[in-house]
Amino acid sequence: MAHPSQLGFQDAASPVMEELLHFHDHALMIVLLISTLVLYIIVAMVSTKLTNKYILDSQEIEIVWTVLPAVILILIALPSLRILYLMDEINDPHLTIKAMGHQWYWSYEYTDYEDLGFDSYMVPTQDLVPGQFRLLETDHRMVVPVESPIRVLVSAEDVLHSWAVPSLGVKMDAVPGRLNQTAFIASRPGVFYGQCSEICGANHSFMPIVVEAVPLEHFEKWSTMMLEDA
Amino acid sequence: MLHLTKGRVGCLLSRRVVLALTNRGARMSSHDHHEVSDKVDMSQPMYWDRLDTPLPDRPWKDVLDSTDKSLKQKEKGPWTALSKEEKIALYRLKFNHTYPEMKRPSHEWKTVIGGMFIVFGITGLVVLWQCHYVYPPQPHTFGEEWQAKQVQRMLDMQINPIEGFSAQWDYKNKQWK
Repeated sequence: MAHPSQLGFQDAASPVMEELLHFHDHALMIVLLISTLVLYIIVAMVSTKLTNKYILDSQEIEIVWTVLPAVILILIALPSLRILYLMDEINDPHLTIKAMGHQWYWSYEYTDYEDLGFDSYMVPTQDLVPGQFRLLETDHRMVVPVESPIRVLVSAEDVLHSWAVPSLGVKMDAVPGRLNQTAFIASRPGVFYGQCSEICGANHSFMPIVVEAVPLEHFEKWSTMMLEDA
Repeated sequence: MLHLTKGRVGCLLSRRVVLALTNRGARMSSHDHHEVSDKVDMSQPMYWDRLDTPLPDRPWKDVLDSTDKSLKQKEKGPWTALSKEEKIALYRLKFNHTYPEMKRPSHEWKTVIGGMFIVFGITGLVVLWQCHYVYPPQPHTFGEEWQAKQVQRMLDMQINPIEGFSAQWDYKNKQWK
């Protein structure tokens, strides 16, 4: 989750998110360099003592400021496309989970081996235990084994929703009547929070997503316990 | 798409007939009478005081009285014969302001900055009123005790342990780095 007044990204919990963090650093550095240059030029133009400011028609600088932006754009596009294709690779998941969006909760189905399904409602503010995070905690978390490729099939039962977990670098729209696939690997154990990312009605802000990555033995114990409870 | 229907063929044929039977003059009588009016510049010469375009189209004082006229006559001779006052008078005939007069500071910035601060102040008052009269009470999770428990829980869960929140906490000495 983000700490209060956080401006930057959360720490990456998956390899794809790490790549995205580095790409963001790269693109932002380019943007800052260009902005600094433009700001400097504006200040220089405004504060000059020269009176003849209307020199026109210079071929050399025109070539420079056409070719250089094209080169910069290529330098941005190449890492971006690399990550795009990285995200699209066939990943041979160990586990497939269906995340279904409803108004206004998520439900998760683990149907690879047994028929496990449960709903995940936000914990209302008045029911929080001291120390819990307002508007982020849920009664049931989506538990996944750590360091395993997980496939998530996202869909919706009523209106558009979007299943997003920023620290895993995942966001996928939940469209009724359509199955969208996304995948991630949780590189480290922990609890990762996200919120519904497509306007879906009155309680759109109140249907969060919590993913808990645990070692495989713990995952097995948890799924056994959940099946018994059901 | 564009198949030849009867109507379309009829339209195309009638167009060919009209083109054959009439001349250009009849068809386009409102266009191009082969008489282009001469381009006349009716603008009046202007005077300006500009730092970047030094020489205006006309001198400052157009209508010269007899003293001015005699001075202009003297200007036609060698300039070494002109006194300093005469040179200045000639300049003043030609131009309104000198460069230092054009560049003089205007004190407008004080009005601008003052106006800005007044607007900030009014905005601040509006915001204060709004905080007091409009906003509902803060949720109880913003209280000191809850926030402290929340921070402890975030550290226990190792939220953002690599470069973020928990990375700033020294777990061995139990203090912030």
